[in-house]
Amino acid sequence: MQIRDLPYADPGVPDVRSGFRLLVWLGRNQLGGQLKALAWGVLHLASIALFPVVAGLAVEAAVDRSGERLAVAGAVMTVVTLTVALGDTMLHRVAVTNWITAAARVQQLLARRAAALGSTLTRRVAAGEVVAVSTGDIERIGWCVEAVSRFSAALLTTLAVCAALVVYEPQIGLLACAGMLALALTVLPLLPRATRRADFQRERAGRATELAADTVAGLRVLRGIGGEELFLSRYRRVSQEVRRAAVRTARMWALIEAVQVAIPGLLLVGVVWYGTGLALDGRITAGELVMAYGAMTFLLFPLRLFGEFAMSYSFSRPSAARAARVLSLHRSSESAEAGAGASPGPGATGVAGVDRVAGVDRVAGVDRVAGGASPVPPPSGSVCVPDAGDAGDAADTAGLYDPVSGLHAAAGQLTAVVCGDPDEAGRLAERLGGHPVDEPGEDEAGQDEPVEGGTRRQDTVVGETVVGEVEAQGEAGPPREAGIGTGTGSAPGHAGHRSAVLDGVPLDAMPLEAARTAVLVQDKDPMLLSGTLAELLDVPSSGAVGVHQALEAAHCSDVLTALVQGSPDAEGDPMRARLTERGRSLSGGQRQRLALARSLITDPDVLVLDEPTSAVDSHTEARIARSLRQLRQGRTTVVFSSSPLLLDRADRVVFVHDGTASAEGTHRELVRTDAAYRAVVTREPEPEPEPEPEPAGPPGGALTRTAKTEGAKSA
Amino acid sequence: MTLDTAESIREESVETARERPRKAPRAKEFGVPPPAYDPSAPEDVTILPVGSPTTVRSYVRELLRRHRRTFILLIAVNTVAVVASMAGPQLLGGVVDGLADGERDLHLGRVVALFTAALVIQTVFTQQVRLRGSVLGEEMLADLREDFLVRSVQLPPGVLERAGTGDLLSRITTDIDRLGDAMRRAVPQLAIAVVWMVLLLAALGFTAPPLALAVLLTLPVLVPGCRWYFRRAPRSYRAEAAGYAAVAAALAETVDSGRTVEAHRLGARRIALSERRIAEWTAWERRTLWLRTVLFPVINLSNMLVLGGVLILGGIFVLQGWISVGQLTTGALLAQMLIEPVELILRWYDELQVAQVSLARLVGVREIEPDNGDSAVTPDGQEVRATDVRFGYHDGVDVLHGVTLEVPPGTRVALVGPSGAGKSTLGRLLAGVYGPRRGEVTLGGAELTDMPAEEVRRHVALVNQEHHVFVGSLRDNLLLARPEAADAELWAALGAVDADGWATALDDGLDCEVGSGGVTVTPAQAQQIALARLVLADPHTLVLDEATSLLDPRAARHLERSLAHVLDGRTVVAIAHRLHTAHDADVIAVVEDGRISELGSHDALVSAGGPYAALWRSWHG
Repeated sequence: MQIRDLPYADPGVPDVRSGFRLLVWLGRNQLGGQLKALAWGVLHLASIALFPVVAGLAVEAAVDRSGERLAVAGAVMTVVTLTVALGDTMLHRVAVTNWITAAARVQQLLARRAAALGSTLTRRVAAGEVVAVSTGDIERIGWCVEAVSRFSAALLTTLAVCAALVVYEPQIGLLACAGMLALALTVLPLLPRATRRADFQRERAGRATELAADTVAGLRVLRGIGGEELFLSRYRRVSQEVRRAAVRTARMWALIEAVQVAIPGLLLVGVVWYGTGLALDGRITAGELVMAYGAMTFLLFPLRLFGEFAMSYSFSRPSAARAARVLSLHRSSESAEAGAGASPGPGATGVAGVDRVAGVDRVAGVDRVAGGASPVPPPSGSVCVPDAGDAGDAADTAGLYDPVSGLHAAAGQLTAVVCGDPDEAGRLAERLGGHPVDEPGEDEAGQDEPVEGGTRRQDTVVGETVVGEVEAQGEAGPPREAGIGTGTGSAPGHAGHRSAVLDGVPLDAMPLEAARTAVLVQDKDPMLLSGTLAELLDVPSSGAVGVHQALEAAHCSDVLTALVQGSPDAEGDPMRARLTERGRSLSGGQRQRLALARSLITDPDVLVLDEPTSAVDSHTEARIARSLRQLRQGRTTVVFSSSPLLLDRADRVVFVHDGTASAEGTHRELVRTDAAYRAVVTREPEPEPEPEPEPAGPPGGALTRTAKTEGAKSA
Repeated sequence: MTLDTAESIREESVETARERPRKAPRAKEFGVPPPAYDPSAPEDVTILPVGSPTTVRSYVRELLRRHRRTFILLIAVNTVAVVASMAGPQLLGGVVDGLADGERDLHLGRVVALFTAALVIQTVFTQQVRLRGSVLGEEMLADLREDFLVRSVQLPPGVLERAGTGDLLSRITTDIDRLGDAMRRAVPQLAIAVVWMVLLLAALGFTAPPLALAVLLTLPVLVPGCRWYFRRAPRSYRAEAAGYAAVAAALAETVDSGRTVEAHRLGARRIALSERRIAEWTAWERRTLWLRTVLFPVINLSNMLVLGGVLILGGIFVLQGWISVGQLTTGALLAQMLIEPVELILRWYDELQVAQVSLARLVGVREIEPDNGDSAVTPDGQEVRATDVRFGYHDGVDVLHGVTLEVPPGTRVALVGPSGAGKSTLGRLLAGVYGPRRGEVTLGGAELTDMPAEEVRRHVALVNQEHHVFVGSLRDNLLLARPEAADAELWAALGAVDADGWATALDDGLDCEVGSGGVTVTPAQAQQIALARLVLADPHTLVLDEATSLLDPRAARHLERSLAHVLDGRTVVAIAHRLHTAHDADVIAVVEDGRISELGSHDALVSAGGPYAALWRSWHG
């Protein structure tokens, strides 16, 4: 594998059973590169090891006054020079290539994981872990994997030099061996302590950066209200703490370095002492003494590689463990689809959080196994919709239906939903898209729970129906095993989750991709991905709604102007203007409108918008309400909002109170008849007891006035 | 040169992705040309200045002056360590000389004793060199980051408002990180290596002056090789580091936007993006690897030339009888020792070049004039008045075209109008964040722009959607508004905004750590903290820039009650996106296209039947 061929077409399936196995897997995947590095490493070190020999030859030639042998030494020197240069350069090239290919492979695996985990990542600790792996851990992992071959090369050469010394002059050779051992035994125990201190220092430094970034982020507040000195002194304190921690780490490294000077130095003293004795006895020549001295200094070089390898391993062990953990995260729908072979198996502990969505997704997976390539629509007769009592007939009609709240959005209509509790609105909106994710509150629960015991928090009806069908076909065993084997827990006691139903089909029973294609839920805080505006708006879509049409409908003209002004590169073309990370350079209202435009471009069969214009001013909101209705003509649209400007444009308004759809009708009707509804949308302090609006107040007055003029149109 | 170079590069900090298509590379060069796309080219407009070379130089001089003592100490201990390390070659040279002359008594005991003593000194001082080097690097680094923050918090509010905090943020995170390695290691290591090399060369000249000539042999190889390399290296390493950071940033964004990615089915595109980033990063890795493929043989060759030159030339000199065998031995061993400092210098030199760019960005903040209001200007009264104000963010493009507005003490004025009409801009002028291009904004007869920011904020506060909760205790978050306040006052302020309920319920009360990493406060609570700060700061006039618009309706309603307590008895200018806020104001100003098109009470405007009335009807339709 060469760097120019990166990225891999397929990064492969990693062995994520443990950090160590991941390292081995990565190493095995670049065996060729490892062997090459080993070969070049041996050449490099062996050439360097020849160096003292040349020096000895030259000195001896000088002692013996032999010009001829000096010339020989010169010739050998030239050859050695070339092989050192060649070995060093090629070793470096191969080693760096190994490092980069390993790092790129892990990055690719991570990207795939993150894309597959999607929404299950956002509310979990796992999100931080993925980023930690990609920013710091990969470097250490690549380093360790790559260092193996260099370490082996160093080990081989060292052994060879020691062996040569032992053969040549046993006492000096044994002295060298003893010295190497002593050095290893002294330094190795110090390394973990040094890395611990380094970790602490890094953590402190991270804290300081965080404080500085936090202070700068809130700088406008500080400048507007005061408190600069307070925060400066606080930062100075932390900054000095970092300095002290760093010096403490340096103390340890300084000690290690001193040991690395002292022990080889003692060896050299020993060589001089003992060797001079030998030379005086005439057993070795002066040149050989120089050679032995030189060989000893050479040994320092591979020693450093030993130290480096020990360090890289101690650094990378926790990193590899974390990487293995992250790479083993999965939605269980994937595992059911991919089969047990590709997935990490039950050994993956501590990742229960993400697995817990299993309950919902697994059914989809099983369904897909049963239903074949085209799971939509599933066999219609077999799906029985729950709670037929209050809304069974509603589900039969076309449109989107939520059995939990009883909310029904008729096909082809603009339905507005008013929900007193914003959190509940968020949950309801998410449910409308199918395949919802756990609430964060349940994260701690069920961490280590056995799988088999846990019942799905999703209600049984959809699951049983589909699974039952699979069993009838006699295929239930394997896929179900796969699903259960990989799920690690379930949220206990969360009753009442039932899938939203689209045109009679439970969304949770569809594969994730199909459900997301059918229904697009734009949540309260949609993210703008960085890149150019053209890239932002280039989303999978039906193709029916053009970019400009959508931008116009979302009234983005001032956003475009702002983008062009902030992006001189774009040369006046807003589509080439760049959005900064999360669109931070734009105001909240501008971000909302861009997100809305993006959703409009997607043009899904069903579009669910949660408070799409909460930060938009009234003037613009009124215009958006009008064009939204026009653009989505004949399509199913659900808007969560409490703004009269939007509600008034809806075909129907459903008021969800305490989790159930308690009233529905047009905005005007509901304002007239439902006091609780009126309290939410007009922001009167408390719902008044009498249902009729008092004629004196402006809300009531305005209502009656306009109801007359526009009443006919909406009816 | 060892692999350490590559490792030091790997340790490069992670920074935010930046990109911008580059012009085509210049002349074609052999080997791997620089990739066309440079991820390190700044993407955002750099709003704040970047330090000029003069500013950078004078700052570096100042920094060195501040740490003169540590620096001198480092050089001193380093000199001792290096001199001690030369004892071995000298002593061995003597031994070889003796052996060559056939002497029987070499004073071996004395040689070993001297060698051991030198070794002890070398060990102790090497430890000291390493430690002093770190102390110096860390002290300079701490100074750098603290100096930067000191300068940042002195920036005039107008500069901050205009530049945003993004540019500053990337400087305090990315640039400080990048400088970390340079300061922590490059500066001390370079200082050490230069001293080391000079001493070795001096020793070589001292031992056998003719041998020093051998060093000259390397110059024809080393000089052009290094020039070639260092002309290309800094930019390439910068691009490589930025490219690597972009890989991480793309992934972080995918993770961060998981919901959006899933909802819009962007998974495949995100994977493709990550892989494109990997390709861009590795293209630069290839480029830097190529640069090193040229540099490494150059260095190896020069090393060997020195050694070979010393050995062979020296051998000839010995044969000629110009120097002794001992001198040759010592010279050869010293030449071998030269390898290390030369490698250190080459390794850290380009790091320093890269660091210079970051340093220029940090020092650039010093070039902004801190805001120099005249503290003698004090307002006489509380009336805020804008007279024929014209203002624009860009030359020749005015946002406000002659606005006149009078805000008598105690009144509530609502500014309404479509986005981009200039409401927020007008609000910022009234709060003294910006000065008008023409016309004037006065508080109690004194021009706001003539007052220092510290004075203005005693009277007027701008409250916007930014409810930053600082990392730290709840107490710190409140104290910033009035540093000398006692706990009782803080609780009173929390009580005034209905926040004492949840604040009491916190485990540590005022000591509770909030902000990222601590207890998560809801947006509504963050807003209450912001309001409590206002109660403590106690300005008589408030400019509210849609303070509650980003909150969900239920929380907003609750907050409006808290807000009402804060507004009580103060002059208020409210920028209203929502009409129900406007409804309660004494005066409503409709801002359209940078002008005030309607002015009057709610009832007056509704009955006037203008644009406000139309909007009000649709709101309550």
